[in-house]
Amino acid sequence: MADEAEQQPSTNTVEEPLDLIRLSLDERIYVKMRNDRELRGRLHAYDQHLNMILGDVEETVTTVEIDEETYEELYKSTKRNIPMLFVRGDGVVLVAPPLRVG
Amino acid sequence: MEPEAVESATVGVEVVNSIRERTIAENSMVVLLQGLQGEVTTVDLRDESSARGLVLNVDAFMNIRLKDVLFLDRRGQTAQLQDLFITGRNVRYVHIPDHVDIMKTMESQLAKIHRVRNFAGEGGGRKEFGGRKK
Repeated sequence: MADEAEQQPSTNTVEEPLDLIRLSLDERIYVKMRNDRELRGRLHAYDQHLNMILGDVEETVTTVEIDEETYEELYKSTKRNIPMLFVRGDGVVLVAPPLRVG
Repeated sequence: MEPEAVESATVGVEVVNSIRERTIAENSMVVLLQGLQGEVTTVDLRDESSARGLVLNVDAFMNIRLKDVLFLDRRGQTAQLQDLFITGRNVRYVHIPDHVDIMKTMESQLAKIHRVRNFAGEGGGRKEFGGRKK
């Protein structure tokens, strides 16, 4: 999307998977990343590598701790907020509309 | 002579000298990061460490050079570094400063690339891509 005028006429037909992401521009999205990370933010820009610019983003890092005695799995998540973030595409696993509970 | 000597001499000296890098950068969002040269930003690395400093240079492969860096390693220990080179593969996030206008930065970077490309006399008078229509 860096050079829209020359590369891609703004067509409304969905031809390839990246076009589906194009439909989410300026919308809030959910991004699942490697290393148990999730991002929720507004998609401002993306490219073919899935490098993305997300605004008002909340990053959730999930860790699992295993209790030594009971072998119980304790899931912990840490969140942080970043106003504007550039995300390198090779960490992205999937892109989806924000998950709705229920 | 260091190939990067021209662009790292002063912060914010413009476009890379290689055609290949210009083309790669132009077709992806690395141009935005290249427009951040001269800004102080935080780069989060893949291994959970982070580096906050002044961006000296970003190339088409997202390799980043930073100056006057506060480096926070995975364990939380800080280090002050004068100069830091981060390989593109190791970048996870780059925090964009609030005052940066994304569209303007990308457009001005692309304009610089196009200016260099159309500079008469480059490549002995030949255009970079022969007879390409806009």
